[in-house]
Amino acid sequence: MDTSLLQFLSGIIFLSILFQHLTKKNFSAVIAYGIQSLAIAIMLFDSFLKTNDNSLLCIFLIVLIVKVILAPTFFIKLIQKHKLTFSASTVLNVSLTLICLGTLTAVAHSQKFLPLTNIVPEYHSFLSLSFAAIFISLFLIINRKGALSQTLGILSLENCIVAFSIFAGLEQFPALQIGIIVNIAIWILIATIFISMIYKHFGTLDITSIKSLKD
Amino acid sequence: MEIIIIIVSLITASLISILAKRRGIIEFFSVIASLVALFESCIVISKVLSQGVYSPFILFSVDSLGAIVLLIICIVYFASIVYSIQYLRQETAKNIIGLTRARQYFALLNIFLLAMILAIVANNPIFAWITIEATTLSTAFLISFYNKPSAMEAAWKYLIINSTGLLLGFFGTLLYFTALQGKPIFATWDILFSNALLLDPIIAKIAFIFVLIGYGTKVGFAPMHTWLPDAHSKAPAPVSALLSGVLLNVAFITILRFKFITDAAVGVEFAQKLLIIFGLLSIIIASFIIFTQKNYKRLLAYSSIENMGIVALGFGFGGLGVLAAILHMIYHAFAKSALFLSAGNIFLKYGSTKIINIKGVLKTIPATGVLFLIGFFAIIGMPPFGIFLTKLFIFSAGIASHPIITITVIILMAILFIGFLKHISVMFFGEKPADMIKEKENIWLVAPPTVLLALILFLSFYQPHFLQELINNVILKYEF
Repeated sequence: MDTSLLQFLSGIIFLSILFQHLTKKNFSAVIAYGIQSLAIAIMLFDSFLKTNDNSLLCIFLIVLIVKVILAPTFFIKLIQKHKLTFSASTVLNVSLTLICLGTLTAVAHSQKFLPLTNIVPEYHSFLSLSFAAIFISLFLIINRKGALSQTLGILSLENCIVAFSIFAGLEQFPALQIGIIVNIAIWILIATIFISMIYKHFGTLDITSIKSLKD
Repeated sequence: MEIIIIIVSLITASLISILAKRRGIIEFFSVIASLVALFESCIVISKVLSQGVYSPFILFSVDSLGAIVLLIICIVYFASIVYSIQYLRQETAKNIIGLTRARQYFALLNIFLLAMILAIVANNPIFAWITIEATTLSTAFLISFYNKPSAMEAAWKYLIINSTGLLLGFFGTLLYFTALQGKPIFATWDILFSNALLLDPIIAKIAFIFVLIGYGTKVGFAPMHTWLPDAHSKAPAPVSALLSGVLLNVAFITILRFKFITDAAVGVEFAQKLLIIFGLLSIIIASFIIFTQKNYKRLLAYSSIENMGIVALGFGFGGLGVLAAILHMIYHAFAKSALFLSAGNIFLKYGSTKIINIKGVLKTIPATGVLFLIGFFAIIGMPPFGIFLTKLFIFSAGIASHPIITITVIILMAILFIGFLKHISVMFFGEKPADMIKEKENIWLVAPPTVLLALILFLSFYQPHFLQELINNVILKYEF
């Protein structure tokens, strides 16, 4: 794949997570996840074009269906059903969140992790960016109070790991990749059911306001 | 063939649980499936003993360590299924659950067992990851089984924390594949091990840290343990028995398999140090929190965190500690499962999991009371129970190389014992509430924990030849 396109796609993945950190609307966060997943799907399609391996085409199609179409559709329906327009707030305020994001990105680009981001030297900058994206996805799960945002954080973390593995040449045996995606699909389904049940039980998706375990 | 039979029988039992209209049929097939799993696991063990490693297909492979855990899973599962039948019937009689819930329960429980068995026999780390993630997915609804707000919150916490942890574990797993540097292949654990020397030492260290944090979340290592007391206390008692008794071991085995590869790449000290740190931290947190517990199921859950910490210390100290850690895993699995099943009887009688509401257990349900006390003595490590010796061996392995840590842990054990005893004495020796009448206990609620405790007592005095051989093989293979 053209390096500039790869740069564009890895940039999209990173920026989409930054956007998920900053947006206040659930709908925008879901769309950002959809775009991020599309970037992953394009990378997988490129792998198919390079190798002409039909199993990779199959993986691309499954990713497209599960992550780009089904997952965002599920979440948007959930938002519409429960009128979850605005996401729950963050643990840290915007300025502190930005400081943390900057720090995590700097840490991921530090010399400490050079062996990791230099697995494929020509993709060093992409690997660094993907590794930073892993960190900030993790921070998204911790920093967001909303159940839907946490779900999107976990799915983004998975996308970043996939992006890292593509850049590092760590793609797995096709059957295993399909197994992972099926697992993710089931996870999305279960998470959606739980979000719905949480809203029914508590009338909110703000996890910090749910304190029924404190007995 | 044996593994295929187990898979087919469990899937069949799950499907029957979903489709069958009569409760008796669901229960019958679930018991049959658990018996088939137990029987076939014995055959697998005989093949492991004769062949060293039993690998009928490229997808599956069982070594001695896997065989030990496989047997533990199947024994505890059989006891839990037998117990579940009467437990759910009593809950149905009290209008806590209906037939639909019971069907869901058995369907999910069979899938849970299937996922655990596949995680143990998986011959590839990614396949193992998929199946361990499947254990999370299958148990999430079992934790929220009672559909109460607290159960829902516990299940959500479980789902989010474990999924995040397992994704980090997945990232660590992928990093081990940098040693292969080639086209995607179905890399078995053995292929990864034989290529371990090609791993960049720093990548190997980072990978192990991710794996330890990731799968350590599932094991319940502190500070990633926060989901465990909530999940184990909110799930139905037999599910708690399986979560605490066997699932933690399944995740621990995965860490050990990665430790094996990491040791080959960077030497044994790195992984040992990390295991000691996480083990110690888990024991510290569990010891102090047990003191302030208000819920007896949470008490048992924190005890699991402490025991996993002890196992981690055993593997961290190495030498004699490894033998003791393997035995500790076996004893803990049976003792903790028996305790959770007994706790289920207390819940059925008193309708509460709060310690303050439980008094005079020995007078209201004496058989359960005695079983719980025996389980308590077993888990705390009182002689003649095997855990006394395993702790002694682990401490003697650690006292020379890590005296301060070992002495700290011994002091923590004393604190933990006092904390545990404080709660137990209130629950068991107090005067029973006036409105609580003594009833004859159902044999099917008492027999499963009795069998498990009898097993731990038997194994404390005598280890069958096959078990000794399996443990020796583990120590020889992993060269700790």
